[in-house]
Amino acid sequence: MILDRIVPRILSVRRLPGADPALLTAYGADPARHFALGLVTVDQDDSTYVALDEATKHAPVDVVFAKSFYAGSSHASGALSGEILGVIAGADMADVDAGLQALIRCLEHDACFYTANDAGTITVFPHVIASLGRYLSAQAGLQVGDPMAYLVAPPMEHTIGLDAALKAASVRAAKIFPPPTETNFAAAWLSGDLPECQAAAEAYAAAVVDVGRKAWDIDR
Amino acid sequence: MSFTRALMENLRVKLGAMDPLPPPPPLPEVPFPPSRVFPTPRRRSAYAEAAARHTTALVGIGHVGTRYATDVVLQFQAELAVAHAAVGTELPEDWAEKNGLLPLHSRVTSHRQFLLRPDLGRRLDEASLARLNEKARKGVDIQPILADGLSAVACMGAGLALLAHFTRECEARGWSVGTPMCARYARVWLEDEVGQTVNAKVAAILLGERPGLGTGDGLSAYLVYRPRIGCSDGDRNMMSNIHARGAPPEQAARRLAVLAGAMLDQKTSGVPLNLAGLDLGDAGGGGYRAPEPRVRLVYAGDAQDKNTKERA
Repeated sequence: MILDRIVPRILSVRRLPGADPALLTAYGADPARHFALGLVTVDQDDSTYVALDEATKHAPVDVVFAKSFYAGSSHASGALSGEILGVIAGADMADVDAGLQALIRCLEHDACFYTANDAGTITVFPHVIASLGRYLSAQAGLQVGDPMAYLVAPPMEHTIGLDAALKAASVRAAKIFPPPTETNFAAAWLSGDLPECQAAAEAYAAAVVDVGRKAWDIDR
Repeated sequence: MSFTRALMENLRVKLGAMDPLPPPPPLPEVPFPPSRVFPTPRRRSAYAEAAARHTTALVGIGHVGTRYATDVVLQFQAELAVAHAAVGTELPEDWAEKNGLLPLHSRVTSHRQFLLRPDLGRRLDEASLARLNEKARKGVDIQPILADGLSAVACMGAGLALLAHFTRECEARGWSVGTPMCARYARVWLEDEVGQTVNAKVAAILLGERPGLGTGDGLSAYLVYRPRIGCSDGDRNMMSNIHARGAPPEQAARRLAVLAGAMLDQKTSGVPLNLAGLDLGDAGGGGYRAPEPRVRLVYAGDAQDKNTKERA
């Protein structure tokens, strides 16, 4: 079935109440402000970026580290590695815990990849964020609270889909990640009003499905 | 909660129009209903099996749910039809004369009246009484009277044979037998007036008995000593089921003669009559009677095959 949810699997969640300043510095935190860390590994990187951003909306935490692993979760370095390590940092452990709860809730109920063909071998991430948090807004160069369409697909599907999305709605490309990303996908962040972002995401997903059905459009 | 999820649900519906539906899963094989649910396999008890062989009553017939099986109903209807037909049959007016019998007639004027007015069927009309006084032998030992009763079919069937056999049996015993006569629209008590008129010692009326299921052709015989108007049923001795499947006329005639002889000897009849020591065959005593296989008068539908098979 197409456009079925692929629920992300949270592989590990650990807390570091008093991380070593050297570690904090190495992972991009500020030892002056950040004393506690929350770490997660998940098998979907883009869902986790959205979830980390969600955490910043619910708790005074900063996303200090978030990086995708090369070639994706199918080629992970270990059973708990997944596709991404995300780290949130806060002034005390309670803040980090609140952030982790928001992050987990988002992963379980909101952000996820969707299948784009019946076999489930093509996936698409046509996510609409109604209101950006502090993390992604900074990454995308947008204001906190702006809507954004977070679009990810394999290279060919993404290219066709992005074109369709940009043409289908009154949106602006805030950032385009041409292939390959670390996980060999391609991505784009589109900015606009919420209905425009939704229309763009919808057109994007429809185009990805279409490419999946029709990989060739010339006669051999 | 999730914008994206609602969005994707809608999009899936939109694309679903273009999306060929997957073939429906194969239906499980539905077995055909059994072609014959009822009756449940016939498992007649050994008792019913044995009993059914010796009676024409519908015993051990099983059931279908709360009802009879179709073949049983058909059999029932066939036998009821035979009974109806026997009741509805009338003795032809000239039948007695054609067979050389003295014709008598009760006071009944129509068949319907015959069925509804038993009292009129017990008395002779004026013409018959005159004819009887004029032509019949008087002062006889035995006065046999053939009559139609409730089954003219039986009267026309075995009636003449029974009358002939009975007359022969009586004459063989040296008794004087009255003029053979046949009464139309007659009830049993008509023998009282006839016997009184001819001054017979014993009157014996042989008449068709009320048809039951499967017996439209049965004769009964009622004997009374010193018949006179006013005799009651307590004064009579009777014998029923005189037909091929019951007591055949020849056998019945012999027993009736034995019965009449006892009346002549004891000068009484009915309840006071002592039957002990009489050679009445199986009918006489209250002892063991070997069961006899019974045959139905009619068979409905395939019941015949079934019954013959069962009996075979």
